[in-house]
Amino acid sequence: MEFREMMESKYRELLENYIREQSEQALYAGQKFSRKSIEHKVSPEEIVSLHKSLLIEMYPEVPESILHSFDILLEVMIGYGLAYREHQSLRHQQEELRSEMEIAANVQQTLLGTKVPVIQGLDIGAISVPAKHMNGDYFHFVQDENNCISVAIADVIGKGIPAALCMSMIKYAMDSLPENRMEPSGILENLNRVVEQNVDPSMFITMFYGMFDPESDQFYYASAGHEPGFYYNAEKKEYRDLNARGLLLGVEKRTKYRQYQMEIHPGDMIVLMSDGVTECRTEEGFIERETLIDYIDKYIDLSAQEIVNNIFKELEKLQHFQLRDDFTLIILKRDV
Amino acid sequence: MNISIDVNENNAVSEIKVSGEIDAYTAPKLRETLFPMSEQNGVKMTVDLSDVSYMDSTGLGVFVGVFKNVRSNEGEFKIIGLSSRLQRLFDITGLADIIDINSQIEGGVQ
Amino acid sequence: MSIQSCVTIINEWDIVAARQLGRNVAKELGFGTVDQARITTAISELARNIYLYAGKGQICIDKLNDAGKAGLRIHAADNGPGINDIRQVMEDGFSTSGGLGAGLPGVKRLMDDFHIESETGSGTQIKATKWLR
Repeated sequence: MEFREMMESKYRELLENYIREQSEQALYAGQKFSRKSIEHKVSPEEIVSLHKSLLIEMYPEVPESILHSFDILLEVMIGYGLAYREHQSLRHQQEELRSEMEIAANVQQTLLGTKVPVIQGLDIGAISVPAKHMNGDYFHFVQDENNCISVAIADVIGKGIPAALCMSMIKYAMDSLPENRMEPSGILENLNRVVEQNVDPSMFITMFYGMFDPESDQFYYASAGHEPGFYYNAEKKEYRDLNARGLLLGVEKRTKYRQYQMEIHPGDMIVLMSDGVTECRTEEGFIERETLIDYIDKYIDLSAQEIVNNIFKELEKLQHFQLRDDFTLIILKRDV
Repeated sequence: MNISIDVNENNAVSEIKVSGEIDAYTAPKLRETLFPMSEQNGVKMTVDLSDVSYMDSTGLGVFVGVFKNVRSNEGEFKIIGLSSRLQRLFDITGLADIIDINSQIEGGVQ
Repeated sequence: MSIQSCVTIINEWDIVAARQLGRNVAKELGFGTVDQARITTAISELARNIYLYAGKGQICIDKLNDAGKAGLRIHAADNGPGINDIRQVMEDGFSTSGGLGAGLPGVKRLMDDFHIESETGSGTQIKATKWLR
């Protein structure tokens, strides 16, 4: 401890300088000393004690009463010293947690990763951005042997780690579904049972599950309490809500989900989103679904991926780059 | 972002009036108040949300939890005073079909 | 070899008596003012825990002499409710979040050695030593 050895003479010099000239420069030297002493983990009570003993050396005639007063100062400073050391240790722990979180976020990325399928006739774009480290939104694509494209978009209530853990379970449950082709309603019924059995009662998941059959151009879908998406009719240039009634996953064990079906014509689009998109808050309140439609319209001639990227950028800007909720947007666009 | 929760347990039905915003920051407080009540046998609870200006899915989670608790303890649970925005949230999630909402509002709240 | 003297902790004034005992022994052994203050702060904290959570207990101060090395050992003992999760109370920020002083991690920092044993329902024994350098 080199600093500790010279600490006494250094402090003495500071003290003498300041007592002699009371200059700002001497005070500045004091500030620099404190930075050094903190760095070397010198506690405040040690400084008080040093101050007292130097005073006795420099001014042997200093009144006893003044010297006694330092005992009180020392006692008080011990508490501050402990609080400071505790703070340091907590800060260290926080660093550890932060790096663990980063690793966990990467693990999650890998675990939940899904490839956006590339198929003839259907242009797919998807973006998902977490509000914090970990994403409570989830989307998943599956392409089966009949070339049907399935898309799942889900949102776990809540954000952060609990949501992410829950999502990993859903992903696992989806991977464990029977191999043979299942319909959206059947898949939701299956997942509902898994969630109901395994998740805390106040945690739940919303999910929209859709399946596009390129043979027949039919889109089959069902929803478990998920934010409704849009259907864009290219011929009429009209948007309408993709309403589908269905209870959240994990509330009632024997929930049945209704399945809907529609034909997708060339140029038509299916727009799916998490509530992080519609709950997007600006100074004037929430963005309306109409605003979202305006943005889709603005970029409609771009590719599906470019549309979702641009909409995210617009909404991010509207919120001054502070996401309150996880954001996921998916567009399926049938080629003209 | 603030919330206030007034509880009136003097009558046969416990009335809980919530005001403010229910989000990830305030939901734990709501949960702390409502959960112990919902775990009592045969409890009757009515939650009034007419002064709630904002609620996100975290708040919905609290109500789903309360609903499940009350149901397993053979009690009754009602939510009243939903604004159209909140009503939409309950409709989309399908909760409007299983939780008794807005049934005792006279004249209707829009 | 050790010589022991003890203070029974029942009310808040006994905390002061325990501190006084600790300070006298520390002075006698030749601890400097800073270490004296650290030792008494640790005693305070342990005595306070007894007073607040166990209701009654003892603080004993031992003079140690281990192969020419002198030291002071605080021995805090009570038959109170005991500590359910020792790991938790030894965590920084757990007991101090209400601003209630140093907590056990603080005592550990103030002293050189620290040992704790506790069983739910039968009490807590803490031994903390400071060596003279």
